[in-house]
Amino acid sequence: MTAYANQEKADQRPFSPKEETMITRKHLLAGFTATILLGVSSAAMAQTTLRIFTGGQQRPDVMRKIADEYERRTPGIKVEVEVGGATSEQQQQYLNTVMASKDSALDVVLIDVIRPAQYAATGWAETLDSYLGAERDAVMARYLPAYREANIVGGKVIALPYFADAQFLYYRKDLLEKHGLQPPKTWDELKAGAEKVMKAEGNPNLSGFQTAGAPIEGTVCTYLVPMWGAGGGLTDAQGKLALGAEAAKRPFQLWADLRAANVTPSNLAEIPTDRIRQNFQAGNLIFGMTWGYVWNRAQGDPDSLVKDKVGVVPLPGFSANAAATCIGGWQVMVSAFSKNKAEAYKFVRYLSSPEVAKAQAIAASHLPVFAEVYTDPDVLKANPWFKDALPVVQTARSRPVTPAYPRVSEVIRTNMNAFLAGSKTADAALADMNRDLSPIFR
Amino acid sequence: MARLSPLEASERRLGYLMLAPAVILLLVTALYPIAALIRESFSHNVLTEPWMAKPWVGLDNFAKAMGDPRFWEASANTLLYVIVTVPGAVAMGLGLALLANQPFRIKWPVRLGLLLPWALPLVFAGLIFRWFFEFQQGLVNNALLFVGLSPVNWLTRETPAFIAICIAIIWKTSSFAALVLLAGLQTIPKSLYEAAEVDGASKWRQFLEITLPMLMPAIFVALIFRTITAIQTFDIPKAMTDGGPGKSNETLAMYIHSTTIDALDFGYGSTLAVLMFVLSAVLTSFYLRHTRRDPSGGRH
Repeated sequence: MTAYANQEKADQRPFSPKEETMITRKHLLAGFTATILLGVSSAAMAQTTLRIFTGGQQRPDVMRKIADEYERRTPGIKVEVEVGGATSEQQQQYLNTVMASKDSALDVVLIDVIRPAQYAATGWAETLDSYLGAERDAVMARYLPAYREANIVGGKVIALPYFADAQFLYYRKDLLEKHGLQPPKTWDELKAGAEKVMKAEGNPNLSGFQTAGAPIEGTVCTYLVPMWGAGGGLTDAQGKLALGAEAAKRPFQLWADLRAANVTPSNLAEIPTDRIRQNFQAGNLIFGMTWGYVWNRAQGDPDSLVKDKVGVVPLPGFSANAAATCIGGWQVMVSAFSKNKAEAYKFVRYLSSPEVAKAQAIAASHLPVFAEVYTDPDVLKANPWFKDALPVVQTARSRPVTPAYPRVSEVIRTNMNAFLAGSKTADAALADMNRDLSPIFR
Repeated sequence: MARLSPLEASERRLGYLMLAPAVILLLVTALYPIAALIRESFSHNVLTEPWMAKPWVGLDNFAKAMGDPRFWEASANTLLYVIVTVPGAVAMGLGLALLANQPFRIKWPVRLGLLLPWALPLVFAGLIFRWFFEFQQGLVNNALLFVGLSPVNWLTRETPAFIAICIAIIWKTSSFAALVLLAGLQTIPKSLYEAAEVDGASKWRQFLEITLPMLMPAIFVALIFRTITAIQTFDIPKAMTDGGPGKSNETLAMYIHSTTIDALDFGYGSTLAVLMFVLSAVLTSFYLRHTRRDPSGGRH
């Protein structure tokens, strides 16, 4: 119909008789093209495209499958998955530029558990209370308490949890069995066990223990976990910085001790989170302090040399049963600048459902944010270690909650990195941490 | 001033009209952002503290920078990168240009070799060199082991990391210097060398007495361009060590990035950017003064 109308319009134009046929034909073609374009764009209007941002390390392939399923169930919705940097702070650098410029390109954003305070303060997250409506408290009550609390800032729901995470101790089951060792419960046991295995194996590429040491977000936990384990805290009950305590020195002593025993490699300061997994998968690591996703990769990747040789237990402590761990996990948030907020919210609800939690647990060993999914038979079949994981996630501790978290993280990770690299002494690193953190925690 | 004839006036109007797009473009894309940056540098604007609004704080941010040890360390690091990589890249570029200026029968492989590093995005170069210098997987340590030396923790020790970053920067930037110098070399008349040949001057003597002095204008251009980009050094150290170990190799541009993009402190970040602009202006003014005094570019 549109083509006909265009042709008619073209015919009415006062062209010279000689040219008329030619030009009318051209207009016919133009009209035809315009019709196709109009048709395509009106089809696109009927369809809403949601763009979700995820990190390269949060299994975008699994996100794609979940999105495919959502598209199948929800006619008229198309989901584009945008994949960002490999580390939390690289992703956030990109997101900071997108959100600070109030760009509407992203509808749903995957954010680290440490970020809701920042998103609340900047107003970049669409608060979800009005969308949740009367259901709000019932919906939030289903999540593990730590994730419910992490996503409610100042009484407002900033995001909904996508998957949980915590740091665990990965170990080479085969090597420990071969040398008659049990998974360590204390750091001393870990050190002695690693030394024994390294000596007996005589493999120069085999490293005893690795944790994140590069100047990245994960290295914050490399400092906090032993400090918490020693009974310390970054802040006291009044929220004031508490780095004067003896516990604040324990992480430095622990990592220096493991380095001196050659249990950690000399290049620990250049190792980011995913390198631990790569080294472990290549068979070059006995013990690794890392996150839940590693299980699925070590068991499932075609190039993994340690399939069925992997054990996962809670992290060791300074004494048995006194371990601490860092809470992790990723949340889905609706961008305040999205043009499709209602549809984005529905997608977020789907992503944050027990069904998707189960699918992720099986496909990616992502820890669920719902207690009941941990005991699901299918989930346990894919991840036998999940049976002991729930108490770890439930007792995992949060990194400090503040909108100034990026600065806090930077101070801790760069000082830890400098210490691990040997370019700062423990005293200097601690003094600099005190100097740079005290203005934030006044 | 004499009254303009109607024709002249209309010509002048047309002239202004034709200049307008360029002027508007310049205002919108260059002058406005600079003005906004300077205004911002006098304000407190932290995106995570919206309750603070954006108050005018006068010179507070500048006073803060003067007492900020990280600012001074980053500035000192930036100067170090300038001192090492600017002469490094120009000297290396001169060598490459002399090589490319040889009468090879097939010129394109050399020219391509010159262009490739220049065409490569900076961050790629940084990532490639990070891999070269990695402790376990790196080519450099492999080579050291091969000749019987022990491997070096290049990227996790302050000085080796600085050396590795400088090598990457010089590799990446010397090709631009080489292109500028090659253009300069090709303007030197062959007759000068022929005359020197007749007088019995050695090749080395010809280089010192003919090539270098004739090349001075091009060398100055290469130095100025390289200095300006060296002051802005960001991508390569960011990709190689993120300024590490710790913040020991952080440049001023990296500190600005961390302040504005990580910590979302746009006010203080703008102040640091203004200070970097000042540093840049001071350093380049040395060159400018030289070229103004001696337009031939230093032929003594």
